[in-house]
Amino acid sequence: MLEARAFEPEFLRKLDLLVLGIKRARTVRAGQRALGRIQGLGIEPENFKDYAPGDDLRFLDWNAFARLDDLIIRTYRADRQVEITSLVDASASMGLPERDDKLGLALAIGAAFAYIGMADNDAVRIGAFSMRRGAMKLETTAFHRRRESYLNFKPFVMSVKSGGETRLGAAVDQLLLQRRPAGTVVVISDFLVSESDAEEALKRLVAARHEVKVIHVMGEQESTGSYPPGLFRVRDAETGEIRETIFGPSTAAALRRKVEQIASRVREICTTHAITYAQAFGASSFEDFMERELPLLGIVR
Amino acid sequence: MGFLSPQNFVYALSLAMLVLIYLRSRSRPTLDVSSLMLFDEAPAPVASVRHVRLDPMFWLEMATLAALTLGLAGMYVMRPPSMGHGRTHALVFDLGAAMSARDGQDQATRLDRARHDALEIINQAPVGDEFSVIGYALEAELRHPQSANLVALRKALDELVAMAVPARTAALRAALMRARGASEIDLFADRPPPNTVLADVASAAHVNFHLLGAGDANLAANLAANLAIVSLDPGTPGATRGRAVIRNFSARPHLCELAIDLGAGEVFHHTLMLSPREQAVVPFGPLMTGGVLHARILTSDAIEADNSRYAYAASDRAARVLVLSPDAAVRDDLARVLLALNSNFQIETADPSRYRPEANPIGADAKPLELVVMHDCYMPAIAAASTLLIYPPQNKSGAPSPAGISVDGNLASVDLHGESIGASGGGESLTLGATRIVALPEWMDSIASAAGAGHRSIPVAAIGHASGGPVGLIAFDVRNHLLLAPDHLDALILTVDLLKQLTAPRDVQIVSTGAYVSVPAIANARVTQPDGSVRVVAADRFGRVRIRPLQAGRYSIESGSLTTRLFANYYDATESDLGAKPVAESSPPAEKASAAAGVEPAREVHPLVFLLVALALLALMVESAVLIRHATRWGMRHV
Repeated sequence: MLEARAFEPEFLRKLDLLVLGIKRARTVRAGQRALGRIQGLGIEPENFKDYAPGDDLRFLDWNAFARLDDLIIRTYRADRQVEITSLVDASASMGLPERDDKLGLALAIGAAFAYIGMADNDAVRIGAFSMRRGAMKLETTAFHRRRESYLNFKPFVMSVKSGGETRLGAAVDQLLLQRRPAGTVVVISDFLVSESDAEEALKRLVAARHEVKVIHVMGEQESTGSYPPGLFRVRDAETGEIRETIFGPSTAAALRRKVEQIASRVREICTTHAITYAQAFGASSFEDFMERELPLLGIVR
Repeated sequence: MGFLSPQNFVYALSLAMLVLIYLRSRSRPTLDVSSLMLFDEAPAPVASVRHVRLDPMFWLEMATLAALTLGLAGMYVMRPPSMGHGRTHALVFDLGAAMSARDGQDQATRLDRARHDALEIINQAPVGDEFSVIGYALEAELRHPQSANLVALRKALDELVAMAVPARTAALRAALMRARGASEIDLFADRPPPNTVLADVASAAHVNFHLLGAGDANLAANLAANLAIVSLDPGTPGATRGRAVIRNFSARPHLCELAIDLGAGEVFHHTLMLSPREQAVVPFGPLMTGGVLHARILTSDAIEADNSRYAYAASDRAARVLVLSPDAAVRDDLARVLLALNSNFQIETADPSRYRPEANPIGADAKPLELVVMHDCYMPAIAAASTLLIYPPQNKSGAPSPAGISVDGNLASVDLHGESIGASGGGESLTLGATRIVALPEWMDSIASAAGAGHRSIPVAAIGHASGGPVGLIAFDVRNHLLLAPDHLDALILTVDLLKQLTAPRDVQIVSTGAYVSVPAIANARVTQPDGSVRVVAADRFGRVRIRPLQAGRYSIESGSLTTRLFANYYDATESDLGAKPVAESSPPAEKASAAAGVEPAREVHPLVFLLVALALLALMVESAVLIRHATRWGMRHV
């Protein structure tokens, strides 16, 4: 139940020092506010520029015209409210191996991102998706902006259960159907899906002008192949398909190779589409991941 | 193929256990994983899931357990004995009187011919084959244990002698049972054995039957004669004529020259023509005196044992006999029987309640009592050479037991056993009246027994030699003129036989061959047999030696100053009839009994225990190798 960790005060105090690294934030000041670039709606002057036909005459600096006889337009910085969505994969594959608590790790990361996102009073929500009875089920919380309301996420986070297939594309489609302004979407998944599905989903998010961050979570056991030796029948948690295999060193090596291969593909897709990619392999490294690795990757600052 | 210990198939449950374990193991641990995508490159086991998985480990373990189970069950195969080393033969010889018959042109005995055939078998056998020699007549006897020592075997064959007794089927069965361990049995006999006897052993061994002697068709041409003295009755010296019964077993008429000697002198000599298979009664006498009577057929004959017969002609010497009985009628009946035996007996009868032994002292001039007959009474004070106790009284507290005989009770009626009655009984039982239940001392031999309520066999007639002389016992009551009743002749015969034996001379016994005989002896006795051979027999604690004459003729038993002459007679109609065809001979005589009996050629039992254990060990080793290989492949140090 690693997700409970995301609501522990001690852990949250460590997150207080972090802010979400959103690339389109123009300035970062001591107040640690993320500012938008939309002109005219703010109250704080930003700059001056020569008047050009078509400019809103409401922003003409009449004092400067009177003194200098030049038409100068005053520009303002407008505050921008960014919507941050932590999109957590809650398919059956996230529930296995149980000892890895992969879903717990994903939810904890998602909640942590939400908490960090609240530092700028951005609208933050957490969503979980999985296929249930042949249909995509995307559940999201309401947007919350202040950290005082962070604990409102807890019931949702604690109630998410793994199950169903992973259809990343369908989840993204359902998310985009909500027609929200472009914001930041943190996709947290094991990406045990087809390469095309993952790539198409991420492409659609980017195309919708979302800033996408990908957190690739894997369990420690499955990423290292540390299964007990012997003959086993392995059953796919999502499809129910069964295969016999022999666990041993060679199998462990094959599993590690396969995980590395999947991670490389996802990383390649992310690189191609200018998506920030981070790996969180193993629940034991959760805090290190949040406090050290994410800052190193620039996802948080 | 068969199983020596089929009950050990209970160990086959281990196979069922293995199958259960296997089925349990088929449900291999199922591990739910996030995606099989991760296992694309993982190695899969060689065996895939199917209804009967070809799991070499399982089949190897199954083979191991199956081999061990079959081994424990004693699996064996029957196969023909391998030619060469290690074969075992049993040479079984019929040693009945008929094997001494001389037939054929060389006039060799059938036993000689059997011996010759056996020697040929021994000589032709490969080196390493082992033989045993078994003879049978009345009983089966191992003459030489299994051995490859040909010298000892030839000597054992040379020592085989036909006995003057009939060969019994039971003895043949016992002999074949003894020979059962051999891979091949060679049976030498003059008549085919019953198929049932062969069937008992044919499953375990190959039986070669060697028929000795010619068939009945050639018997007349090959045999000089086949005559026998059936019986010899000396009659009563000076009173009645004796008679000899002669029988011609041949299908041809034959001359029979008969001579009868009494002591050293010949009293009768006559030649008569006997028709085919005729039985003739030859009267002679009456004899003038008593003594040992010896009848001989002088004509050349196939079997010599039945050409000679002895009988004892009781002397008519005067002797005192005392008859004691509380019943006057019994005293009278016994006196009549005694006088019929010897008309010169001086018989005194008395009521035991009135008889005082001290009132009849044995004076210097008085003759001692030859015999005292006590009916329903016992008076130990009476001294006599011999004693006959009839219906002895029940033991009372403090009263002496009659001559060591324990009387334990009384039965209202008993049935005399058929075999006790003998030929006169015609095989039917005879019901007797009141009979004492007696326990015989060790020195007495029962000669007749009966069955009564709650008793399957109690002795009703017995004789033995005690320190005071011979003692006879008749356990049934002879009241109501039992001895003179025409319906109870067997009771009379038993009584007369006992009286004859009690009044016979102590140094003369005439018996049938094959019967056990007790002879008084002081210490070790030197027994000279009819063929001149001598052997020493130790006396038992009752002062007697027991011998079993197997040769017809005169035996001499010397013990100290005591010399007893024993005359053994042989006659058996079945055995002496060389032309008789037993039931089993309905099938044609054959050299091989297996063919005659319709039995498949016998094969040897070859246990497969060692082979099965070797297979089990091999399977275990292969399994170990497979395990090591798997362990290496999986990178584990052990499995």
